Amino acid sequence: MGHQDLADALRAAVAADTGVTDASLRTAIAAGSPVAEPYDTLARQIRDASHRVTDAEVAAVRDAAGSDRAAFEIVMSACVGAGLQRWDAFREATDAAG
Amino acid sequence: MRLAEVERGDSLRNRALIRVISLALGARLPDAARVAFYHKAFVGTALGAWTQEAMRGPSEWTVPERELMAAMVARWNTCPFCVGAHRSIAVLGMDQAVTDACLADHRTAPISEPLRATLSVLETMTLRPDELTADIQRATAAGVTRQQLTDAAAVASVFNIITRYANALDFAIPTDAEFGKAATMMLKRGYA
Repeated sequence: MGHQDLADALRAAVAADTGVTDASLRTAIAAGSPVAEPYDTLARQIRDASHRVTDAEVAAVRDAAGSDRAAFEIVMSACVGAGLQRWDAFREATDAAG
Repeated sequence: MRLAEVERGDSLRNRALIRVISLALGARLPDAARVAFYHKAFVGTALGAWTQEAMRGPSEWTVPERELMAAMVARWNTCPFCVGAHRSIAVLGMDQAVTDACLADHRTAPISEPLRATLSVLETMTLRPDELTADIQRATAAGVTRQQLTDAAAVASVFNIITRYANALDFAIPTDAEFGKAATMMLKRGYA
Protein backbone atom coordinates (compact mmCIF):
# COMPACT_ATOMS: atom_id res chain seq x y z
CA MET A 1 0.00 0.00 0.00
CA GLY A 2 1.28 3.50 -0.80
CA HIS A 3 1.50 6.41 1.62
CA GLN A 4 -1.80 7.95 0.52
CA ASP A 5 -3.67 4.67 1.06
CA LEU A 6 -2.04 4.29 4.48
CA ALA A 7 -2.99 7.87 5.38
CA ASP A 8 -6.58 7.21 4.26
CA ALA A 9 -6.70 4.01 6.36
CA LEU A 10 -5.54 5.96 9.42
CA ARG A 11 -8.17 8.66 8.81
CA ALA A 12 -10.82 5.95 8.54
CA ALA A 13 -9.62 4.30 11.77
CA VAL A 14 -10.27 7.49 13.76
CA ALA A 15 -13.90 7.46 12.58
CA ALA A 16 -14.45 3.68 12.84
CA ASP A 17 -16.78 1.97 15.31
CA THR A 18 -13.87 0.44 17.24
CA GLY A 19 -13.81 3.33 19.72
CA VAL A 20 -15.69 3.76 22.99
CA THR A 21 -16.19 7.51 22.45
CA ASP A 22 -18.60 9.07 20.00
CA ALA A 23 -17.19 8.90 16.46
CA SER A 24 -18.47 12.41 15.69
CA LEU A 25 -16.42 13.78 18.61
CA ARG A 26 -13.29 11.98 17.39
CA THR A 27 -13.66 13.14 13.79
CA ALA A 28 -14.33 16.73 14.88
CA ILE A 29 -11.20 16.70 17.03
CA ALA A 30 -9.13 15.21 14.21
CA ALA A 31 -10.45 17.85 11.81
CA GLY A 32 -9.48 20.63 14.22
CA SER A 33 -13.09 21.73 14.67
CA PRO A 34 -14.23 23.26 17.98
CA VAL A 35 -15.66 20.72 20.45
CA ALA A 36 -17.07 20.89 23.98
CA GLU A 37 -14.83 21.45 26.99
CA PRO A 38 -12.69 20.00 28.43
CA TYR A 39 -11.94 18.23 25.14
CA ASP A 40 -11.35 21.43 23.18
CA THR A 41 -8.61 22.76 25.45
CA LEU A 42 -6.65 19.51 25.33
CA ALA A 43 -7.13 19.03 21.58
CA ARG A 44 -5.96 22.59 20.84
CA GLN A 45 -2.94 22.21 23.09
CA ILE A 46 -1.97 18.93 21.41
CA ARG A 47 -2.37 20.50 17.99
CA ASP A 48 -0.52 23.75 18.74
CA ALA A 49 2.06 22.95 21.45
CA SER A 50 1.88 19.36 22.71
CA HIS A 51 4.87 19.87 25.01
CA ARG A 52 2.74 22.29 27.04
CA VAL A 53 -0.02 19.75 27.79
CA THR A 54 -0.55 19.53 31.55
CA ASP A 55 -1.54 16.77 33.97
CA ALA A 56 -4.70 18.75 34.73
CA GLU A 57 -5.76 18.95 31.06
CA VAL A 58 -5.43 15.20 30.60
CA ALA A 59 -7.09 14.47 33.97
CA ALA A 60 -10.06 16.71 33.07
CA VAL A 61 -10.57 14.80 29.82
CA ARG A 62 -10.18 11.47 31.62
CA ASP A 63 -12.86 12.48 34.15
CA ALA A 64 -15.25 13.79 31.50
CA ALA A 65 -14.77 10.83 29.13
CA GLY A 66 -15.08 8.29 31.95
CA SER A 67 -12.10 5.98 31.34
CA ASP A 68 -8.46 5.85 30.34
CA ARG A 69 -9.51 4.18 27.09
CA ALA A 70 -11.85 7.04 26.20
CA ALA A 71 -9.23 9.68 27.09
CA PHE A 72 -6.68 7.79 24.98
CA GLU A 73 -9.02 8.01 21.99
CA ILE A 74 -9.38 11.78 22.46
CA VAL A 75 -5.60 12.23 22.66
CA MET A 76 -4.93 10.02 19.65
CA SER A 77 -7.62 11.71 17.55
CA ALA A 78 -6.01 15.11 18.11
CA CYS A 79 -2.54 13.74 17.30
CA VAL A 80 -3.64 11.90 14.15
CA GLY A 81 -5.50 15.00 13.00
CA ALA A 82 -2.35 17.13 13.29
CA GLY A 83 -0.29 14.59 11.35
CA LEU A 84 -2.86 14.19 8.58
CA GLN A 85 -3.26 17.95 8.30
CA ARG A 86 0.44 18.10 7.44
CA TRP A 87 0.22 15.21 4.98
CA ASP A 88 -2.72 16.90 3.23
CA ALA A 89 -0.85 20.22 3.10
CA PHE A 90 2.15 18.51 1.55
CA ARG A 91 0.02 16.77 -1.08
CA GLU A 92 -1.77 20.00 -1.90
CA ALA A 93 1.52 21.90 -2.27
CA THR A 94 3.14 19.25 -4.48
CA ASP A 95 0.01 18.92 -6.63
CA ALA A 96 -0.01 22.69 -7.11
CA ALA A 97 3.68 22.57 -8.09
CA GLY A 98 2.73 20.24 -10.96
CA MET B 1 2.74 8.36 31.60
CA ARG B 2 -0.46 10.29 32.25
CA LEU B 3 -2.89 7.37 31.65
CA ALA B 4 -2.20 4.52 34.08
CA GLU B 5 -3.95 1.83 32.05
CA VAL B 6 -1.77 2.59 29.02
CA GLU B 7 1.33 2.20 31.16
CA ARG B 8 0.37 -1.14 32.72
CA GLY B 9 -1.39 -2.69 29.70
CA ASP B 10 -5.09 -3.31 29.02
CA SER B 11 -5.14 -7.11 29.06
CA LEU B 12 -3.42 -9.97 30.85
CA ARG B 13 -1.62 -10.81 27.62
CA ASN B 14 -0.29 -7.28 27.15
CA ARG B 15 0.76 -6.98 30.80
CA ALA B 16 2.69 -10.23 30.44
CA LEU B 17 4.19 -9.02 27.16
CA ILE B 18 5.38 -5.78 28.79
CA ARG B 19 7.06 -7.77 31.57
CA VAL B 20 8.71 -10.28 29.21
CA ILE B 21 10.06 -7.64 26.81
CA SER B 22 11.32 -5.49 29.71
CA LEU B 23 13.21 -8.52 31.04
CA ALA B 24 14.66 -9.32 27.61
CA LEU B 25 15.62 -5.67 27.11
CA GLY B 26 17.12 -5.40 30.59
CA ALA B 27 15.27 -2.10 30.99
CA ARG B 28 11.77 -0.69 31.47
CA LEU B 29 9.85 -1.09 28.21
CA PRO B 30 9.66 2.44 26.71
CA ASP B 31 6.25 4.11 26.76
CA ALA B 32 6.15 4.21 22.95
CA ALA B 33 5.85 0.40 22.91
CA ARG B 34 3.19 0.47 25.64
CA VAL B 35 1.08 2.82 23.48
CA ALA B 36 1.58 0.52 20.48
CA PHE B 37 0.15 -2.41 22.51
CA TYR B 38 -2.80 -0.45 23.95
CA HIS B 39 -6.32 -0.47 22.43
CA LYS B 40 -4.79 -1.62 19.16
CA ALA B 41 -8.17 -2.02 17.47
CA PHE B 42 -8.55 1.76 17.45
CA VAL B 43 -5.84 3.58 15.40
CA GLY B 44 -2.86 1.46 16.47
CA THR B 45 -2.85 -0.99 13.57
CA ALA B 46 -3.25 1.69 10.89
CA LEU B 47 -0.64 3.97 12.46
CA GLY B 48 1.79 1.06 12.88
CA ALA B 49 1.38 0.08 9.23
CA TRP B 50 2.07 3.61 7.96
CA THR B 51 5.00 4.09 10.34
CA GLN B 52 6.54 0.79 9.23
CA GLU B 53 6.18 1.72 5.56
CA ALA B 54 7.61 5.21 6.10
CA MET B 55 10.54 4.06 8.25
CA ARG B 56 11.42 0.63 6.88
CA GLY B 57 9.63 0.36 3.51
CA PRO B 58 11.26 0.90 0.10
CA SER B 59 12.77 4.39 -0.17
CA GLU B 60 15.80 6.15 -1.60
CA TRP B 61 16.38 7.50 1.90
CA THR B 62 18.41 5.16 4.10
CA VAL B 63 17.01 3.92 7.42
CA PRO B 64 19.44 6.17 9.40
CA GLU B 65 18.41 9.19 7.28
CA ARG B 66 14.74 8.47 8.01
CA GLU B 67 15.50 8.05 11.72
CA LEU B 68 17.32 11.42 11.59
CA MET B 69 14.23 12.97 9.96
CA ALA B 70 12.11 11.55 12.81
CA ALA B 71 14.50 13.00 15.40
CA MET B 72 14.41 16.37 13.64
CA VAL B 73 10.59 16.48 13.67
CA ALA B 74 10.81 15.63 17.37
CA ARG B 75 13.19 18.54 17.93
CA TRP B 76 10.88 20.97 16.11
CA ASN B 77 7.96 19.68 18.23
CA THR B 78 9.99 19.81 21.47
CA CYS B 79 9.63 16.09 22.16
CA PRO B 80 12.64 14.92 24.21
CA PHE B 81 11.53 11.27 24.19
CA CYS B 82 11.46 11.05 20.39
CA VAL B 83 14.67 13.07 19.95
CA GLY B 84 16.45 10.59 22.22
CA ALA B 85 14.85 7.48 20.77
CA HIS B 86 15.38 8.29 17.08
CA ARG B 87 18.79 9.91 17.49
CA SER B 88 19.84 6.64 19.13
CA ILE B 89 18.66 4.61 16.13
CA ALA B 90 20.15 7.06 13.59
CA VAL B 91 23.64 6.86 15.10
CA LEU B 92 23.66 3.09 14.63
CA GLY B 93 24.15 3.81 10.93
CA MET B 94 25.26 7.43 10.73
CA ASP B 95 28.20 9.35 12.14
CA GLN B 96 27.28 10.60 15.62
CA ALA B 97 28.93 14.01 15.13
CA VAL B 98 27.01 14.56 11.87
CA THR B 99 23.75 13.48 13.53
CA ASP B 100 24.28 15.89 16.43
CA ALA B 101 25.36 18.73 14.12
CA CYS B 102 22.15 18.20 12.17
CA LEU B 103 20.05 18.20 15.32
CA ALA B 104 21.75 21.47 16.34
CA ASP B 105 21.15 23.11 12.93
CA HIS B 106 20.61 21.24 9.70
CA ARG B 107 21.41 24.40 7.70
CA THR B 108 25.07 24.27 8.72
CA ALA B 109 25.54 20.51 9.28
CA PRO B 110 27.92 18.55 6.99
CA ILE B 111 25.18 16.72 5.05
CA SER B 112 24.26 16.49 1.37
CA GLU B 113 22.37 19.39 -0.21
CA PRO B 114 19.37 17.21 -1.12
CA LEU B 115 19.06 16.03 2.51
CA ARG B 116 19.47 19.61 3.79
CA ALA B 117 16.78 20.92 1.42
CA THR B 118 14.47 18.04 2.35
CA LEU B 119 14.90 18.75 6.07
CA SER B 120 13.91 22.36 5.40
CA VAL B 121 10.71 21.09 3.76
CA LEU B 122 10.02 18.92 6.83
CA GLU B 123 10.70 21.83 9.18
CA THR B 124 8.17 24.01 7.37
CA MET B 125 5.73 21.12 7.15
CA THR B 126 5.97 20.69 10.93
CA LEU B 127 5.88 24.35 11.98
CA ARG B 128 4.06 26.18 9.16
CA PRO B 129 2.34 23.53 7.01
CA ASP B 130 0.49 26.10 4.89
CA GLU B 131 3.74 27.69 3.65
CA LEU B 132 5.36 24.73 1.88
CA THR B 133 5.53 25.87 -1.73
CA ALA B 134 8.86 27.74 -1.69
CA ASP B 135 10.68 25.00 0.25
CA ILE B 136 9.41 22.33 -2.14
CA GLN B 137 10.66 24.39 -5.09
CA ARG B 138 14.09 24.81 -3.44
CA ALA B 139 14.30 21.07 -2.73
CA THR B 140 13.39 20.24 -6.31
CA ALA B 141 16.09 22.65 -7.53
CA ALA B 142 18.56 20.85 -5.22
CA GLY B 143 17.83 17.60 -7.05
CA VAL B 144 15.30 16.01 -4.69
CA THR B 145 12.79 13.91 -6.62
CA ARG B 146 9.02 13.94 -6.06
CA GLN B 147 9.23 10.40 -4.69
CA GLN B 148 12.00 11.31 -2.23
CA LEU B 149 9.95 14.29 -1.03
CA THR B 150 6.84 12.13 -0.66
CA ASP B 151 8.72 9.48 1.33
CA ALA B 152 10.21 12.14 3.62
CA ALA B 153 6.80 13.81 4.04
CA ALA B 154 5.38 10.46 5.17
CA VAL B 155 8.07 10.26 7.88
CA ALA B 156 7.25 13.81 8.99
CA SER B 157 3.51 13.09 9.03
CA VAL B 158 3.73 10.02 11.25
CA PHE B 159 6.17 11.77 13.59
CA ASN B 160 3.91 14.79 13.83
CA ILE B 161 1.50 12.25 15.34
CA ILE B 162 3.91 10.27 17.50
CA THR B 163 5.71 13.28 19.01
CA ARG B 164 2.38 14.77 20.02
CA TYR B 165 1.19 11.74 21.96
CA ALA B 166 4.62 11.24 23.50
CA ASN B 167 4.34 14.79 24.85
CA ALA B 168 0.64 14.71 25.71
CA LEU B 169 0.94 11.43 27.61
CA ASP B 170 4.23 12.58 29.20
CA PHE B 171 6.41 9.62 28.25
CA ALA B 172 9.10 8.72 30.78
CA ILE B 173 12.56 9.60 29.45
CA PRO B 174 14.92 6.58 29.44
CA THR B 175 18.61 6.90 30.25
CA ASP B 176 21.11 7.04 27.37
CA ALA B 177 21.94 3.37 27.99
CA GLU B 178 18.25 2.43 27.87
CA PHE B 179 17.75 4.43 24.66
CA GLY B 180 20.69 2.51 23.20
CA LYS B 181 19.21 -0.90 24.09
CA ALA B 182 15.81 0.05 22.68
CA ALA B 183 17.44 1.44 19.51
CA THR B 184 19.09 -1.88 18.72
CA MET B 185 15.72 -3.61 19.13
CA MET B 186 13.90 -1.03 16.97
CA LEU B 187 16.50 -1.27 14.21
CA LYS B 188 15.98 -5.04 14.13
CA ARG B 189 12.21 -5.25 14.66
CA GLY B 190 10.83 -2.08 13.07
CA TYR B 191 7.48 -0.45 13.91
CA ALA B 192 4.64 -2.76 12.86
